[in-house]
Amino acid sequence: MTAQPGEPIIRTRELRKEYVMGAEVVYALNGVDVDIWRNDYVAIMGPSGSGKSTFMNMVGCLDTPTAGEYALNGQEVQLMNDDELAKIRNREIGFVFQTFNLLARATSLHNVELPLVYSGIPARERRQRAVEALETVQLADRMMHKPSELSGGQRQRVAIARALVNDPSILLADEPTGNLDSTTSLEIMDVFDKLHDRGQTIIMVTHEYDIAARAGRVITLVDGKVELKVDSPAFQAQAGVAAAGVGVLGSPGNVLGQTGAL
Amino acid sequence: MSLRQVRAQKLKSFFSLLGIAIGITFLIAVITLVEGMNRYVREDFAGSFFGVNTFSVIQRRQVNTGEVDREQRARERRNPRLRMDDVEVVRAAVPNALYFGYSAATSGEVRRDQYSRRGVRILGGSPQYEAIHGWDVEFGRGLTSVDDRQALPVAVIGSQIAERLFPSTSPLGRQVRAAGHRFTVVGVYEAQGGLTGSLRDAAMLIPFETFQRTVATRRQEVDEILIKVNRVDEMAPSMAAVEQALRVDRRLRPSEPNDFWVQTSSDLLDAWETINNVLLVALPGLVGISLVVGGIVIMNIMLLSVTDRTREIGLRKALGAKRKDIMFQFLTEASTLSVLGAVFGIFAGIGMAAIVESATPLPAAVSPVALAVAICLGLGVGIASGIYPAGRAARLDPIEALRFE
Ligand SMILES: Nc1ncnc2c1ncn2[C@@H]1O[C@H](COP(=O)(O)OP(=O)(O)OP(=O)(O)O)[C@@H](O)[C@H]1O
Ligand SMILES: [Mg+2]
Repeated sequence: MTAQPGEPIIRTRELRKEYVMGAEVVYALNGVDVDIWRNDYVAIMGPSGSGKSTFMNMVGCLDTPTAGEYALNGQEVQLMNDDELAKIRNREIGFVFQTFNLLARATSLHNVELPLVYSGIPARERRQRAVEALETVQLADRMMHKPSELSGGQRQRVAIARALVNDPSILLADEPTGNLDSTTSLEIMDVFDKLHDRGQTIIMVTHEYDIAARAGRVITLVDGKVELKVDSPAFQAQAGVAAAGVGVLGSPGNVLGQTGAL
Repeated sequence: MSLRQVRAQKLKSFFSLLGIAIGITFLIAVITLVEGMNRYVREDFAGSFFGVNTFSVIQRRQVNTGEVDREQRARERRNPRLRMDDVEVVRAAVPNALYFGYSAATSGEVRRDQYSRRGVRILGGSPQYEAIHGWDVEFGRGLTSVDDRQALPVAVIGSQIAERLFPSTSPLGRQVRAAGHRFTVVGVYEAQGGLTGSLRDAAMLIPFETFQRTVATRRQEVDEILIKVNRVDEMAPSMAAVEQALRVDRRLRPSEPNDFWVQTSSDLLDAWETINNVLLVALPGLVGISLVVGGIVIMNIMLLSVTDRTREIGLRKALGAKRKDIMFQFLTEASTLSVLGAVFGIFAGIGMAAIVESATPLPAAVSPVALAVAICLGLGVGIASGIYPAGRAARLDPIEALRFE
């Protein structure tokens, strides 16, 4: 791992999430230590149920840990209340979901504007920034379309524009291509690559090795623990080894044709 | 979202609109009609019955405000009837009166050839009777003191009687018959219309002296003595003078109550006030119940909507919506629904009042207060019924809401 100067954007120590299911306790995260630096491009892999989504939700401040520390830009997130977390989600985090999660009744433009509404940005600036974000994902010509009038790949690009529009410190994507066919997946990956080239910090969960291979680093989770951290060039060489060791391939849970709109 | 869901959403919105709209409709209709009655009573009824600066002496009180007990009423019923002697006593007590008059009345059938009308109020009025009531003639002339002095068989008839008995000819100079007597029509009063229009429109006025000699059943008796003074501040002293003169004339001891009644238009207004207060409290009370029902409907629909849109709420929170943002969104929705309902209700209510007005003699008047009350009520119901569902939505955990199926 290359040493980086200064503070990491994300720093977790002994991060735990436990779910009590009757008499049983599920350790979704079982002590995770991760540092993410500016302009990192990190892929998270691991078998189904290994805690990838749980980790992303923690990092995205959507969920709070049972124990452990999480600092985002040096701020201790576990100490924050509801509204402070909402502000962090709004300003610091851009989240891209597997199922897009667009508002069905709203146009692309309005969907992208939504985070800015909650930061109290005036309508004109909101519109201008939303248009710019849609241009970044090459959807300027689909601004007035509703999700039902867009293809899956286009919907996900709208969702990416929405995640970008408030210029977040970190872009989180939980299986962003999980609901897309392979050609469309490549399109979306190109978008992420470009964003990374522009300096965006990205964490992405994926089940696909070729997608993970585009990332600078790969973190593999197994049973709520970090099993492996590798820099990408090495990862490419070891992909076969890791696959054998971890025993997971492919991408479960592909539900093509789902609209992904609310 | 599927088309079915959109329709379902619309249907739900429609029902919450309906709940509020019905409540507001009745509220507006009721307030409009009560307000119409109110204005009517204040401006027309009391006026046409009496006119301003006018009071009358009658045998016993006519309008019952509910404050009089049975015993008192029974005693008043034994009061002596007013006679011509009383008229002279009262006349002497108010030498400065603007107008002074008296009248007696009976009712019966009035005929002309094959035409007839039953239940006509046949009034015997002294010369200034018309002036006191402000009755204007539309055709011909009114009654004069000459008519009275000479007890001429002349009559001025109300517009309804004119229409009935003279559908195609002018009534002026023609004769009508009542109780076996003939009267020559010398004038027709202007139509008054409205709720009490029948008072004048279905009346026939003949000179008091003529009345005495023809249709009167009890000679020398009058039903009321009317006094109109020049200014409002002359009312109280004049009334006191009349009261005093009558008590002296009838030799009442100080301990004895009046055995007559001095009435002003405020008596009528008092009576109306009582009815009005009951209407204004009781009817909106009923309306209030329907609004509460409307509010419950809205609350349920909002709760359903919160459940339906759990994932949307989760997403909004994930994008940075604070509790108050979500709260505001749902409260806005609830109040929009109910204010919209209130606006529909206002139009429907005004329409309903208009229908009632055209179908019955009840007058209607739209008051700005009623409209403001309706809008505020709509908003209030919306906010009140939206608060609980909105609070539930605002407290949802973002990740659980997003995961909600
Ligand atoms: N709300 C919850 N209640 C109980 N257990 C939960 C909850 N959320 C997650 N878990 C459990 O935590 C573990 C980790 O789940 P998580 O969703 O993070 O897995 P994942 O790595 O994202 O899997 P996949 O690749 O299938 O998306 C699983 O065993 C899961 O059953
Ligand atoms: Mg997952």
